[in-house]
Amino acid sequence: MPGHRTKGFCASAAALALCAMLAGCGGSGESVGGGKVVLRYTWWGNPDRAERTEQAVALFEKQHPNIQVRTSFSAYEAYKQKLAVQASGGDAPDVMQLDYRQIDQYASGGVLLDLAEQKAVLRTGEIDPGLLATGRLDDTQYAIPQGRGTETVAYDVKAWKASGVPLPGKSWTWSEWADTMRALAKKTGKPGATDPGQSEDCFEVWLRGRGKSLYTEDGGLGFTADDLTRWWTFTDKLRREGAVSPAEQTTQLDGSVENTPLGRGEAVSDANWDAPASGFLALIPTGVALAPMPSGEDGTPGQYFKPSMFLGVGAGTNHPKEAAQLVDFLINDEQAARILGASRGIPVNESIREETASQLKDFDKTIAEYQSSLEGSLKDPPQAPPSGDNALQATFQRDYDQVSYERMSPREAAENYVTEAKAELRS
Amino acid sequence: MTTTDIPAPATRKPGATTTPKRRPRRESQGPAWVFLSPWVLGAIVLTLLPMAVSLYLSFTDYDLFNPPRWVGLRNYVQMFTEDPRYWRSVVTTLTYVVIAVPLQLALALAVALALKSMKRGKGFYRSAFYAPSLLGASMSIALVWRAVFNDGGTVDNLLGTGGWVNKPGWALLAVALLTVWQFGAPMVIFLAGLQQIPAELYEAAAVDGAGKWRQFLSVTVPMLSPVLFFNLVLQTIQAFQVFTPAFAIGAGKGGPADSTLVYTLYLYDRGFVASHMGYASAMAWVLLIVIGVVTAVLFRTSRSWVFYASEGDR
Amino acid sequence: MTTTTTPVVRKPVAWGRIALHVGCLAALLVMLYPLAWLLATSLKPADEVIASLDLLPSRLEWSNYSTALDGVNDVSIWRLLSNSLLIAGGAVLGNVISCSLAAYAFARLRFRFRGPLFAFMIATIMLPHHAVLIPQYIIFNQLGLVNTYWPLILPKFLATEAFFVFLIVQFMRGLPRELEEAARIDGCGPFRSFFKVVLPLTRPALITTAIFTFIWTWNDFFTQLIYLFDPDKFTLTLALRSFVDASSTSAFGPMFALSVIALLPIVLFFLAFQRLLVEGMASSGLKG
Repeated sequence: MPGHRTKGFCASAAALALCAMLAGCGGSGESVGGGKVVLRYTWWGNPDRAERTEQAVALFEKQHPNIQVRTSFSAYEAYKQKLAVQASGGDAPDVMQLDYRQIDQYASGGVLLDLAEQKAVLRTGEIDPGLLATGRLDDTQYAIPQGRGTETVAYDVKAWKASGVPLPGKSWTWSEWADTMRALAKKTGKPGATDPGQSEDCFEVWLRGRGKSLYTEDGGLGFTADDLTRWWTFTDKLRREGAVSPAEQTTQLDGSVENTPLGRGEAVSDANWDAPASGFLALIPTGVALAPMPSGEDGTPGQYFKPSMFLGVGAGTNHPKEAAQLVDFLINDEQAARILGASRGIPVNESIREETASQLKDFDKTIAEYQSSLEGSLKDPPQAPPSGDNALQATFQRDYDQVSYERMSPREAAENYVTEAKAELRS
Repeated sequence: MTTTDIPAPATRKPGATTTPKRRPRRESQGPAWVFLSPWVLGAIVLTLLPMAVSLYLSFTDYDLFNPPRWVGLRNYVQMFTEDPRYWRSVVTTLTYVVIAVPLQLALALAVALALKSMKRGKGFYRSAFYAPSLLGASMSIALVWRAVFNDGGTVDNLLGTGGWVNKPGWALLAVALLTVWQFGAPMVIFLAGLQQIPAELYEAAAVDGAGKWRQFLSVTVPMLSPVLFFNLVLQTIQAFQVFTPAFAIGAGKGGPADSTLVYTLYLYDRGFVASHMGYASAMAWVLLIVIGVVTAVLFRTSRSWVFYASEGDR
Repeated sequence: MTTTTTPVVRKPVAWGRIALHVGCLAALLVMLYPLAWLLATSLKPADEVIASLDLLPSRLEWSNYSTALDGVNDVSIWRLLSNSLLIAGGAVLGNVISCSLAAYAFARLRFRFRGPLFAFMIATIMLPHHAVLIPQYIIFNQLGLVNTYWPLILPKFLATEAFFVFLIVQFMRGLPRELEEAARIDGCGPFRSFFKVVLPLTRPALITTAIFTFIWTWNDFFTQLIYLFDPDKFTLTLALRSFVDASSTSAFGPMFALSVIALLPIVLFFLAFQRLLVEGMASSGLKG
């Protein structure tokens, strides 16, 4: 059967040809007919944000008939993975939504365009300089903040009132907060708050209240093992007293409000970011209110207005001007702002913020009022954290688990963390 | 693994002088390559190439964005000597393998045997037992698991053990049970294997006076051994690579207190969360080698207990 | 004792059978409990989805289903469903064809380097896929196939899922050689004996391959996430996750409802094919 040999080769060749054909077919993604510029814009969020974004984008396309915008979105965690794979594969989208923690990595990895080059179409004059600076790295503006948020103590109004403990006022120190939590636990029989020891964000607020910071200007560690030991000793004591949630509750945090002790009805309050706190309302229909984060013992505020998200432009984009136009539209256009509302945090453009404030509804309004009550009293935000922070946020929680499950003393865990953090920041 | 792992003609090569007598060379290699051509193409482009890249990356410092920087064996050295969390993930994974694989296979085999001897309702039971496996480890099922195994959840109420998913000593068991619960795949494979056993063999055994148990040992076990072997090898490999159930139940962090931080979860954490893809690649290759050794051992022992019908009467 | 039980012993088989059924049903009760929980949760109001540890909802929240059926972001549920079906169907076709071809070569044909190549094939199952994700993405990006279904389907046509090759190899090895020998004596080449003799006998393994491929592809989140960009190319599995976003507000209730909806096609697929599994068995095993 000598014929078989040639048959084999023919079949292999045919298979190869087929694959080449498939490859040829698929490659038509980018060029849409009519000479239109096509932009890819990706972001994270939920279906509600998706709907509003689509509307805004449609308006942009109407204003710029030569531009077509293709959007895509996923939930936060999935988005981070997807964007990382895209970017490392050299396939970053033209316009992308970025988190505070991603800026450093994406900028230093050459993924982001210097936006100063597009000053002509991208206006930043109406953004608070301190906030704008968070998107700057080595004096280059890599990203523009799109919304702002801040941390808050969200609480179950009904449960708190029923306990007879006085409601939180305009400010409190960490020790006043701790006493209140103890009182709440005593009166209600359940913890006053989520154990803040697991949260790098809460630690940062506490640290800033003591005049320190998580990271130094040059991306080193801004605190010592002693600082962290003090923090974890503080929270560990509260946990042992039952004033904050036990380890078995705390460990179930997965970022969603539903899985917080407050969301499960196992605690009276929860320290969280203000935007997601709106989710509590669906779980506690009787009412949720926002109180400020505790400050340092001398009244130094630790919380700050943090950009809830940024917009950046891919360094590899073929249409930097059009991409910048889209960013400008999303940040500075009044109609766009009206459509987007507070779905991406309270707008950063100051005149738009004032103008839209009156139109905000429901919990968006609560958040806007909460933020304006803090206006002027907070310090400037720190610059974007170094890229190692992505890993450290999780490490922080892991190391504290060892404390809350009483497998390590606060001192041991803190020493561990500082060692790991130094290694992470060096690499 | 070596060529000797494969029964069948390949092992006979050394005795080349006798081979021609028994098997005259009546087929060319051409047809084999036709059958293999899709696989060869896929293996080269989609498997070998990416594997080679990841092997290279394992010797580099690669943060996903900047070009990889050659660091020699540093990732491997760091893994073995400086990373206690790595070793904890190794212990966690081994524990998981030891719990999940035997439990899942035993359950799958038991149910398959029970169903085989059933005259009526077989289709119903098979579907019902398979149902959990339809779900995968989706986010919804993870939330269900966390509710059922939580403080005050069903398991706590029935057994009084407290929650499992939130206790470091118990959480891994809850993860393993999720895998065991989805025993549909090995069950179906067992069932298919059982059905392949010719009925004549049982009839012959019955004629020889063998009872049920005797039939099981002398007919079912040897005839099922290739399938049993397949399930054992594949479930072991998959157990070493367990990711999704641990990711879903531990809320992506391997909690509580790293108790469900299995190997691939830590690999994912290093590669995609911490952006140390070089380190993650090195972890992947160590895992490959370990699984390779384990599989090779399984293949070697298989020669004493796996029976291939096509070779018995060669 | 023995005397009193004598009348009962007359039908010992029936008792064993009943015990078997009782045992199986009891096991099923435990097995299906989490599924009941899933179903019940899909009807819980928002404040009970996570917080409540009771099986049954306090009231039925049907709006979870209507929200889920609305689809996500202008993409209808039917679109999502047909996208999922297209991918899963393509994957099934690819795996069944390519894996059985390769398996036949490994199980029955002779070629150079068979041993090493087989070992390599098994080894490809062992590398965690996260490690090759980025190189694979780069390859597909170079081919211009990102944001198409090819990265999800093409690998299946190239037998990259060694699990199934190995599965079918094991089945083929279990088949008696005499049938093929006979076919060969009748003048069948390897192609005809593959199609006429081996393939029909391997049917249980092929159906198993089809079922697993369908389910696993259907549930595979990560690959779909990475390769699909346009929302109108999204699948049910992708849509499912978009309901839960930790940075804004989530909708766990609709997510559970959509999980139940997404479960229906795979249940139907399984029910349809598991029946074929029975026929396949009848024709191969018993008469073989």
